Amino acid sequence: MTYIEKPSISNVVKFEDPDVAKVERLTVMLNTGTDIYQGACKKRGSTLKDEYRKVAGVCYMDPKDMAKLGVGNWESVLVKSDWGEVVCYAAHSRDAPHEGMIFIPKGPWANVVVSPETYCCSDPTYKGIEATVEKTDKEVLLMADLMRDVYKKYVKEGEKTEELPSLGEMPVYKKIARSK
Amino acid sequence: MAYEEPVTDYDKIVENCTCAFCGSNCDDVDILVKDNHVVGVRHACRLGASKIMEDEDQRLTVPMVRDENGELVEVDWDTALDKAAELIAGSVRPVFYGWSETSIEAMKPGLELTELVGAVIDNQATICHGPTVQAVQNVGYPLMTLGEVKNRADMVVYTGSNPMNAHPRHLSRYTTIPKGWFRKRGRFDRTLVTWDPKYSDTAKLSDIWVPFEENGDYAFCNAIRAVLKGKKLKQDVISGIPKEDIYELTEKMKKAQFGALFFGLGLTHTLSKQRNIDIAIQLVQDLNKYTKWVLLPMRGHFNVNGFNIFMSYEMGFPYGVDFSRGYPRYMIGETTTIDLLNREECDVFMVIAADPGAHFPGGALAHLANIPVIQIDIHWGPSTELADVVLPGTFIGVETAGTSYRMDSVPIFMKKAIDPPETCREDEWIVNELLQRVKKLREASK
Repeated sequence: MTYIEKPSISNVVKFEDPDVAKVERLTVMLNTGTDIYQGACKKRGSTLKDEYRKVAGVCYMDPKDMAKLGVGNWESVLVKSDWGEVVCYAAHSRDAPHEGMIFIPKGPWANVVVSPETYCCSDPTYKGIEATVEKTDKEVLLMADLMRDVYKKYVKEGEKTEELPSLGEMPVYKKIARSK
Repeated sequence: MAYEEPVTDYDKIVENCTCAFCGSNCDDVDILVKDNHVVGVRHACRLGASKIMEDEDQRLTVPMVRDENGELVEVDWDTALDKAAELIAGSVRPVFYGWSETSIEAMKPGLELTELVGAVIDNQATICHGPTVQAVQNVGYPLMTLGEVKNRADMVVYTGSNPMNAHPRHLSRYTTIPKGWFRKRGRFDRTLVTWDPKYSDTAKLSDIWVPFEENGDYAFCNAIRAVLKGKKLKQDVISGIPKEDIYELTEKMKKAQFGALFFGLGLTHTLSKQRNIDIAIQLVQDLNKYTKWVLLPMRGHFNVNGFNIFMSYEMGFPYGVDFSRGYPRYMIGETTTIDLLNREECDVFMVIAADPGAHFPGGALAHLANIPVIQIDIHWGPSTELADVVLPGTFIGVETAGTSYRMDSVPIFMKKAIDPPETCREDEWIVNELLQRVKKLREASK
């Protein structure tokens, strides 16, 4: 089968690099777009699974930027832009070097931080967005939990999404009892 | 990846199926079937194979409606269709979005329904190659078919796109690697060029990589145009590229016998949007003073081009067509989905064969949380988390036959390999059924 646990990424982040000055928060340019792992997982339909958050909830960064923040592969980072904030995994980009630029594959995680502004051109601005990245202890949410947390469509008044139990990795719906 | 044993346990091979993933529509895919289940795929790329070998855990198999607690509840087809028809018939400004992953046959009743209720019909072009369509209307469309590129091209340029990730067989089947009539040695007879700020997977394969700055595409294409017109460049570095390199590249492009430029969302999603494509098309027009050059947008879904062709043929406009006044209107930034959602204008949203939950910006999706959403799809996706009525469709190209248009506007009939699950219905049937029910509701309220 074509299933993967997570994308294979290289691990060459040098935390002790003398050229790298440590920072708390990094100002970067955010790009989004497709990626082969994201495409394969999304179109297979495995969007509720842990696999989807490992392929689409990932912030691909230059290893120097990762060293500046002190984050390693598969540690959480908080990405903030004018339109929202989202927790993603940090991962070494296979297209590096591109210092000062991060890439999040398109998907529910990237959607939170991209700009819906179309400038009357029908097309939102998915690329070239100013954002900041910082280290965080928060967990990356599964797709269903993220959709509930961000859009709160079926959350009752007064309920806190972070206190609700996770919706899990399988479809949840009430089935009709069938007698065979 | 680890070695996998070849699949040998199958009943039959269905040959020459069409892959229903990207705009390359590879029509040489063999599907291995056992007990009406797909057990293997041959010739498809990683993306195509993963789509055809779908995740059955998340397959939508039964119609569902949200109850008052916000939980999805399985219902029978009549209840779900009635509920959806009621929502559509009672709406003031409905939007029917999607259509790019279904067949032309399903679009026909969809358009009729749109006209009947005065809705807005739109497809994924609105968030991907919409600016391309606008640029084509501005300055023209020096188009070809992919077969021409395969047989003739000796220079292939990709810009703002990464086909090794998004259209993995594009290079190997149509443009760069295959042997062609005038390119007997295949890859060795062609120059592959990538213009991309990132050292992308396609750039890694290229002979020439031009790493212009982010948002530098407009200035860079204009610089080449200036050189083509015999002008001297006044700046030493343009968009991060030294002027000597631009002179050299322009000379190479002039000397090509047949050049093809392919561009993707890297051009349409940055700030200059359709102006980027204007310049790219005009660059190709300028190059044609010296030699033969053509261009093609890298369309994403297998039938996203089909919807634009279908709508242009039927209504005269490619996407974002508004029937609220009883006649078709098309106004970019006015009648297009993202703008309608940003302005919180629409009151019922029907999504068919698309996943706005995964692909719309959060600012636009926030409005979907306020209004009823009807979903017609095959998998439980991010949109299902926002949907109030869920109608399970069938998989075009595997479970249902249908027509689609490849990225170079060649129509392809996609045959079926297996039978759909019993509880699912074809998209065409679902849309037709909604049309009949809305008609009845309309007549009853007169």
